[in-house]
Amino acid sequence: MSGKDKTFHPRSAASAGLVSCHDCARLQPASEHFCHDCGSEMHFRKSASVERTLAFTLASIVLYVPANVLPIMTVSQIGGQEENTIMGGVITFWQMHAYPVAIIIFTASVLIPILKMLAIFALCYAAKRPVKNPKRMTKIYRVTELVGRWSMVDVFVVCILVSLVQMGQVMSIRPGPAALAFGGVVVLTMIGAHCFDPRLIWDKVAEATPANK
Amino acid sequence: MTIEKMGDLTACPHCDTLYRLPALGEGETALCQTCGAKLFINTRNGLHRATAFSLASLGFLIIANSFPFMSITAAGRKNTVSLFDSVVALWNYQDPWLAGAVFAFIIGLPILICVCQLYVLVPLNFGKVLAGARMLCRFSQHSVPWSMVEVFFLGVLVSLLKLVSLAQVGFEVGFWTFAALVFCLTASLVSIDRRELWTLLNPTS
Repeated sequence: MSGKDKTFHPRSAASAGLVSCHDCARLQPASEHFCHDCGSEMHFRKSASVERTLAFTLASIVLYVPANVLPIMTVSQIGGQEENTIMGGVITFWQMHAYPVAIIIFTASVLIPILKMLAIFALCYAAKRPVKNPKRMTKIYRVTELVGRWSMVDVFVVCILVSLVQMGQVMSIRPGPAALAFGGVVVLTMIGAHCFDPRLIWDKVAEATPANK
Repeated sequence: MTIEKMGDLTACPHCDTLYRLPALGEGETALCQTCGAKLFINTRNGLHRATAFSLASLGFLIIANSFPFMSITAAGRKNTVSLFDSVVALWNYQDPWLAGAVFAFIIGLPILICVCQLYVLVPLNFGKVLAGARMLCRFSQHSVPWSMVEVFFLGVLVSLLKLVSLAQVGFEVGFWTFAALVFCLTASLVSIDRRELWTLLNPTS
């Protein structure tokens, strides 16, 4: 389907007294408590959406500190031990002229988590105050939900290196405390984004439009 | 799959705009005019494709977990590891939480999702809905974001680039089947729209 229907006048399901199921997208009257099709509990909007989203995101910010300060892995070689942090890894690759890898790790481990936290704050603001561009905020929500899991790549790298590089005295790699902390950051931001209900943004915009009052 | 069976009214999951779903041809997508979200994708042979890819995924999962995954040769020593060994290594370094999470993300949940999908999809091909199918369908829908085989695959490539200057790295059978698994699992999940799946699961409504 392409092209916009000029005669289209959008109306929300809520204004028609209808609620859609989170799990199977079935539309039902708001008076029903359970979905007729899939049996899941019906909610008008995700419950305590903004509060839960903020709680998980704040927790992830707290964990983000040890994730970056503490070593993510320790490399033991004949020459001695070397502790690696996330940023340390990026800098090493950059100095080795391995720019694509440096960029992948920097994007997945530093850029995405920070941008995601900022995006979630912006979304929570938009759910509480009417914004000028709800369509853009909804797009930000979709991207936020989609990219979050890719940050886990650094944890998997540690996991692979730890199992593969076990050469006894020659070289061995141990996981550091930052690996668990960073895994926690990714999990918490994923749950945070999942708790958010983008329809709240549109509800605020509709409330602020005089025609709907 | 005809649209008439879908029930006529629907709401956009992202902005709550109410729609009467248009009749879609095979391969066509209905987009929300207000926010641009995908409302419904009418995939070609959705049920058959989803079933076939789920079956293939389960096969690849079993092979990927039964054979060596990668090997490394340095200073005259060769070390071969399986997918499960990477979880065990974390466990051995007193990191049980991380080990448990990695196990769930790359082995546990992908297997559960495949099994649930097959339990739901295979009988649907014969027009049957088994007991508990709706519950398992919901479970697998909620688990999908937590199955991270494709992220793990990127992790393998990054660690390869990390190791390439230090040692000789070899790919074993497990690695190649894992690559096939990433493709098939993703394909099985996008092959059928959830609206179509739920309509098939509730033929009377």
